[in-house]
Amino acid sequence: MLLGTALALAACGGGADEAQPSTPAPVQLPTALTIPDPMVRATDMERVETWTEAIANTLFDYSDKLRQRDFTAAQEWLTPDFAGQAWDGLPVSETKSLPLATNKQIFDVSNKRIVDRAGFMASLAAHIAPWRRVEFVLWKLKGAEFEAQAPLSGKIRFKITFLGSGPDGGPRALIAWANARAELVDSQWKLALFELTSLDLTQRSDYLFTNVSVSAGVAHSAPRFGEPGASTWAWNGAACGDLDGDGDFDLFVPNAPRNLVYVARAEGGFDERALELGLAQPAGGTGAVFFDFDNDGDQDLAVADVGWREPSGAIGGNRLRLYVNDGKAHFRERGSELGFDALCHGYSMTTFDYDGDGWLDVYVANYGRIDVAPNDSWTDARNGTPDVLLRNVGGQRFEDVTAKCGLGDVRWSYACAAADYDLDGDQDLYVANDYGTNSLWRNDGGTFTDVAAALGVDDLGNGMSATWGDLDNDGVLDLYVANMSSTAGNRILGRLAGDEQHRSALLKMAAGNTLFRAGASDGKRTFERVASKLGGVDANWAWSAALCDLDLDGRLDVFCTNGFITGDSPADT
Amino acid sequence: MVASSLDAREIKAIQNSSSPNDENYVQALDSQLFKQGMSFSGNERDKLWLNRGTDGFSDLSDMSGADSPNDGRAVIAADFDDDGDVDLFVHEIQRERHGLYRNDAQTPGQSTTHFLKLRLRATSSQHEAIGAQVLVRGPHGVTNQVLARGAGFASCQAPELVFGLAAADSAEVEVIWPGAKRESFGTLAANSRALLVEGSGKPQLLAAAPRPLPNPLPPGWKLDVGDALPKLGLADAQGREVELDARELAGGKRLYLNFWASWCPPCVAEIPTLQALADQGEVRVVAIGLDLPRDRVKARTLMHERGGRFPTFYLPEPSAKPDSGLAAIADLERLPIPATLIVSPDGRIEEIVRGAITDTKRR
Repeated sequence: MLLGTALALAACGGGADEAQPSTPAPVQLPTALTIPDPMVRATDMERVETWTEAIANTLFDYSDKLRQRDFTAAQEWLTPDFAGQAWDGLPVSETKSLPLATNKQIFDVSNKRIVDRAGFMASLAAHIAPWRRVEFVLWKLKGAEFEAQAPLSGKIRFKITFLGSGPDGGPRALIAWANARAELVDSQWKLALFELTSLDLTQRSDYLFTNVSVSAGVAHSAPRFGEPGASTWAWNGAACGDLDGDGDFDLFVPNAPRNLVYVARAEGGFDERALELGLAQPAGGTGAVFFDFDNDGDQDLAVADVGWREPSGAIGGNRLRLYVNDGKAHFRERGSELGFDALCHGYSMTTFDYDGDGWLDVYVANYGRIDVAPNDSWTDARNGTPDVLLRNVGGQRFEDVTAKCGLGDVRWSYACAAADYDLDGDQDLYVANDYGTNSLWRNDGGTFTDVAAALGVDDLGNGMSATWGDLDNDGVLDLYVANMSSTAGNRILGRLAGDEQHRSALLKMAAGNTLFRAGASDGKRTFERVASKLGGVDANWAWSAALCDLDLDGRLDVFCTNGFITGDSPADT
Repeated sequence: MVASSLDAREIKAIQNSSSPNDENYVQALDSQLFKQGMSFSGNERDKLWLNRGTDGFSDLSDMSGADSPNDGRAVIAADFDDDGDVDLFVHEIQRERHGLYRNDAQTPGQSTTHFLKLRLRATSSQHEAIGAQVLVRGPHGVTNQVLARGAGFASCQAPELVFGLAAADSAEVEVIWPGAKRESFGTLAANSRALLVEGSGKPQLLAAAPRPLPNPLPPGWKLDVGDALPKLGLADAQGREVELDARELAGGKRLYLNFWASWCPPCVAEIPTLQALADQGEVRVVAIGLDLPRDRVKARTLMHERGGRFPTFYLPEPSAKPDSGLAAIADLERLPIPATLIVSPDGRIEEIVRGAITDTKRR
């Protein structure tokens, strides 16, 4: 925040600037900084978004210049008469100890030493030049308001991230929030004024994890999404199990043109052995699960896929598949002869014994054919492919019991997770759906009823992932649901008028992951949505979440993958 | 058209309560957008939150080293090396697709990093006991984990549950088997690996089977200790192409091949130490400057001011033949500097020094 005595600054914008390139006149720096709000705020959302995008895209370009520590090139992003707050020389106002010997220094940004553009770059360099590596820089636009009249200018807000390795090789994260005045100069957006609203530096002596993909033998490189051979964006499942019964954990990764199997070596590391194990073909698929379908003591493998029937009757895509283990870790695909060959739009599957007969059944969460029949709503889509429950008949075959069990939901399902949440002896099922609400299928002796709304876990949003786990150490399974949250969505929603109820529903759609804490009332299970201020839920465009105790302190932590599509071009929202 | 306008349309579609139609983002997925390498909610790095109980969650994503921006999908959390903590396998959609991240946050089994690793076998239902809930009374209360095959997004977890015990020397273990029957397995000593068989009431201890996950090459390097250094095509101070042969340069001595840049303060600070090493005469010191051509005058000036008189070469001109040899030894975009390769008289890498050399008494 600015001091009350700060003077409004009018050094930028108008005025004929006949600067001579060879000897630019020394910049008269102001004595105080104020980033003015627009006098007349532009309200046409289409135009505002266009300008916002244009600025966001320049931010990416200059972020990359800074990643290369090319401060000379990055300086071009600032107007010649730029005036901004220096990043260096700020006192540390607070030092926080985070878990695992992580240290966070919070700088006092109230001391606003004002510098010109060269000085500004020098002040940035003071922070990151000594780093051994600058790995990632992102100046992300979080908000923008524009002047309605020419010359075009705006007040923008961003979150600035520098990630890298410090002089000692340990991780560093320099994070700032800042305001700036942007001006359109010769059809280029540039920054004219800049002030920090927060700055902190997080560091520890080493990374928590080491990427051993290459050295352990599981590295696999494939084209970027959009390049030939890489046209699927949600198919990247994985299954872990002991496929050869030697006590360690192997990995199956569905993949086209052939699947990959990483078999753990007794001395450490993995060998890729799909071909010799009979798992390379038929290839492809989305999610997969290891389970012993015929109770013969070895692990069989179910693979989900996307398949459909054309109007002509022809089959497109692939059916579900079941690879049966012969007990010597050799597999043969036998889905069709065993009735495990439904045409699905499945990404996630879960195996559980829904009817308690001692044979593991399989639930397939089905999405929809978005390229043929897109979702019929953004908040309550009901035209997805029906989910499927396949009952295991004594390890001999599978039968489709979807309708009989009251299932077959046509929401756009992405994920499913089974657990006996009410401890009544049968396994219940939570299903996360895109474009709307989720379901909690309470199992009553083999038939299912959706109690999600009644228990308050329907969780409107773009559901991507569902996981049961006890996150509050009361011995009861809580529920963690991953959703999409969107910077652009929140930014635009922030500008929308409209009735409060509608708006709050929209904001929930963009709000991110949800943690439902389980409790009990009158002997019945209840769920309560944990306030997002406790953290652990802001993952942007989230996908799979795993609940596990990463630091062995006795509490389950959360790891969540995210990101939709990252191209080579930095341009994004 | 850029991606964020899709969001704008998406919101409008909601606002108008109309169905999404031909203008939805699927069209964008099918369009040239992504073929041109555009991003849509890209550059998002995978998240790690540590649970701090009533204090909420601490976001340590930036410290994790497991925060790939390659658009992760499935994640498996399993103790692949059997050291007592869970590692992570992530399937991404871009390029380097399979990330295996070894958990080095703690050394399991030390005084404050006790653990239990539990496997299950049911006898009154399917033997894998899928759906069983395991309750461990740990330092912060009871933790319940369910044995699931298929949860999260398109992810099938390992058939083993790992519980942290912090400094506790033992913990009570109870299982709720499929069917909801509860069974106590008494108290297990910390750092046990055990199989819990339904109806047996007591754990079967399992031996540890460590399977260490090998260390990767240091970040940025493509060669390891023991590898031969290829010939390097570089530029001299005047911009002329030169070919560097480590064995020739070393002249029968040990070669210190130092990577530096003028914009890297620790590199500049290291110059006098390198010169002192060179002056002792037992090793040869040669520097490779990573400065862009426009900064080479500055680099030479700095080297001179700091008293560096050992031979210095620079990156080859962009016009030079692409296979300069440098690409075979390092990913220069990712290489942390300063760094020094110590090369034996016969041209093999003996040591990779990460960070500045501070000791002139090195051999």
